[in-house]
Amino acid sequence: MTAADWKRFLLVRGAEIAGLALLAAVPLSVTNPFALGLLTLLAIYGILLVGLDVTVGYLGQVNLGQAAFLGIGAYAAGITVTSLGGGMPAALVIAAAVCFVLGGLLALPALRLEGPQFALATLSFGALTTTVLNEWESLTQGAQGLQVPRPPLLGVTIDAAAFYWLCLALLAMVWISMRNLLSSRWGRAFEALRDSPIATDAMGVSAYGHKVIAFAIGSSLGGLAGGLYAFNFQYLQPQSFTYELMVILLLGVVLGGRKSLWGAFLGSALIVLLPNLLSNRLLFQLFSGIGLAVAAFAAVQGLRKKTAQPFQALAPVAAMGLLLVGSLVVTNTEDWRKAIFALMLFSVVVGLPEGVMGFAAGWLSRLFRVSPPALPAPAPLDAVLPARATDGSPLLELHSLERHFGGVTAVDGVTLTVRAGQVHGLIGPNGSGKSTVVNVISGLYAPGGGEIRLHGKPLPRGSLYRVAGAGIARTFQNLQLFGELSALDNVMVALKGVFHTPLPLVLLGFARLEERRAQAAALALLELVGLAQQARTRAKDLTYGAQRFLEIARALARQPELLILDEPAAGLSHPDVVALTGIIRRVHERGVTMVLIEHHMDVVSELCDVVTVLDGGRIIAEGDPETVKRDPRVVEAYLGASPEAAHEAAAAGG
Amino acid sequence: MLRVDDLHAGYGTAEVLTGVSLEVGAGAVVALIGANGAGKTTTMRAVSGLLKPRQGRVLLGGEPVEGLPASRIARLGLAHSPEGRKVFGPLSVEDNLLLGGYPGLPRFFGFKAKADAELARAYELFPRLKERRRQAAGTLSGGEQQMLAIARALMAKPKVVLLDEPSMGLAPVIVQEVFATIRRLKAEGITLLLVEQFAQSALDVADYAYVMERGRIVTAGTPAELRRDERVLAAYLG
Repeated sequence: MTAADWKRFLLVRGAEIAGLALLAAVPLSVTNPFALGLLTLLAIYGILLVGLDVTVGYLGQVNLGQAAFLGIGAYAAGITVTSLGGGMPAALVIAAAVCFVLGGLLALPALRLEGPQFALATLSFGALTTTVLNEWESLTQGAQGLQVPRPPLLGVTIDAAAFYWLCLALLAMVWISMRNLLSSRWGRAFEALRDSPIATDAMGVSAYGHKVIAFAIGSSLGGLAGGLYAFNFQYLQPQSFTYELMVILLLGVVLGGRKSLWGAFLGSALIVLLPNLLSNRLLFQLFSGIGLAVAAFAAVQGLRKKTAQPFQALAPVAAMGLLLVGSLVVTNTEDWRKAIFALMLFSVVVGLPEGVMGFAAGWLSRLFRVSPPALPAPAPLDAVLPARATDGSPLLELHSLERHFGGVTAVDGVTLTVRAGQVHGLIGPNGSGKSTVVNVISGLYAPGGGEIRLHGKPLPRGSLYRVAGAGIARTFQNLQLFGELSALDNVMVALKGVFHTPLPLVLLGFARLEERRAQAAALALLELVGLAQQARTRAKDLTYGAQRFLEIARALARQPELLILDEPAAGLSHPDVVALTGIIRRVHERGVTMVLIEHHMDVVSELCDVVTVLDGGRIIAEGDPETVKRDPRVVEAYLGASPEAAHEAAAAGG
Repeated sequence: MLRVDDLHAGYGTAEVLTGVSLEVGAGAVVALIGANGAGKTTTMRAVSGLLKPRQGRVLLGGEPVEGLPASRIARLGLAHSPEGRKVFGPLSVEDNLLLGGYPGLPRFFGFKAKADAELARAYELFPRLKERRRQAAGTLSGGEQQMLAIARALMAKPKVVLLDEPSMGLAPVIVQEVFATIRRLKAEGITLLLVEQFAQSALDVADYAYVMERGRIVTAGTPAELRRDERVLAAYLG
């Protein structure tokens, strides 16, 4: 390991180990049961929020069901002990497993929905859960509550300190496995599908499947936390798991910082301290005062450095000021707690949209400059993109392909053959059906009629994900990159044939070796399109031309039989068009068959072996580029007067 | 008519424009050319108020407009036809046009008569749009959407029109039509600032052109002067 590697290891892991050791040492000196109880809750809510962060942070979906999973987990554990006579380990495993299954079952329909509808689905699940826990009295004892004993573990009675250590150990385990998961292809897929579910599917990574698994994992952590919750309080009531708790949990995740394990931990500290804060008036006044001071300081800094808009800077100051005034006027803070949560949530959402950790991460990274780990040497291109035989045999065959939108016939009986190793141009006026043809081939739309065959076998219909699996990769006319991910990660999401480690082993951290191999492979592809130097740059920060090239590298990571390029030169300036032509030529040399939709006729003439011209959803001409360009129908419908002639006419006239 | 002085703008911590100055005289067509990422679109956004400039001046008809909200700048007579057309897809062609005309139309009385007159003027310039006036804009072909975006920008009788990449993603025959339209607008005396990847065609219609590189103007001149410039020729006119 190099010096930089050690520095990074000590800073990142050091903070985690020091934090854990500090927390673990507390019971040795502190015997106050109240303090120990708070710390136990901190660990339990930590697990719960790490699970909630998977959906809220990584999937970017508002999940209002996590409080319900806490309740289900708690009751599952409680019932295992009271009715089935199970021990604590069995109870915890059952709690997590029940929530994994229920989470998956809820996710199957709910994740077909988007945004507010998904939030409503999880909200109704929460309402349903409290009702069932209340009414199914034979199992849960209903409103009268369920007493849960804390059974001995391996013959040892579990006192408060031992139980705290158990919770802390489980939090550490969850922390490590989630870190392993999120830094693997799974975590990348979660982030990718938030940026562009369409591209995720088109890269052969099922967006829906990954969302369901992510939600199930998050829910099972809720269940595990619920099990610990049951053994902590040893008394359960359905009213504990209502939506008010859910609002506090969301506040915790948002305030702590999304997409961050430390953020979840900070959020959990807030949740634990909040009720105590509200019950002590002096403490609450002090807290509001500090909040106002921090907000005012941040506002002045933000306005001075022009990093914040006036509204963003001043609204939290106003909210915190209101909180401070309130804390001086109101005598019974408990009654006002919903208003207090609302003011805090408002301040955080406006003033610290990235949460405390998001803010601190930027600050810490300036304080301790840690370079990211060095990238491996690029893998040989022959291994990443094996050269293919180019015998000119039929690869993709379309027969009488049709597609209608309402009453409009976009594709009207297209029959064509793309031969192995060729670059097949597809041109035509806007609205002639080119994009619809490739959208039907790639599975974005289902065909209205006709056949599509790859290597003589029917291609799956109407599923981007399954068509990608069959060996067809594509780029998109209006870019569909994973904007928040680096260029390297964009390619790694799509890589085929590198990732084999099953999910349980990924959780245990066995994916590191293949991760390294994947980086080497992705780098080789970035090198092919000339982006190796920008491997660490976020996709959305690349120039427009580089983004177009990155889409090609990402599609090539699929090792496709057929690569569809949908207007790769649209909006490119002359130097970038030249670079693009070079890239396509290099890809062609490796024997990759391509379908190229393009309006730049010079690019088409230079690269294509065959050109098909569409107009009004039908083929009007086909042949080599020079023949097609002279075809009178093509000139009339598509080319107009030759560019040179138009240019000269303009020069003469103007 | 439009004057930009030492304009600085950017996104987040990234400074994209580092001092852009240019001038568009009344009735002139001025082209802005340069590579991808040079800052052409950002210049247009900073001028029209979609992006707040950090420094510098923007004078529209002699009046400073920098820092004003985009809606206000539009009412003062600057129309922006953005990259990628951005028509209101579910709305009809006619509603798209009326929305474009909104800054110049009376609020209550006489709306109908004035709006009809403006629409008639637009349809005269773009007869194709008249045929499709009840159709949802999103169902038009790319070329028709581009025509609609230009017509919409013209509805409010602006002092200056910014046209960002009007030829993007269009078939060659339609690209020629777009440039023919620009020539027609020029003949009507409309003041235009044009960003275009087809630099040759842009120089054909322009009276004057600026070349941008990495957030600043590096060269400027009449089309004839730029065509004699070896460096411009090699980099952009290939």
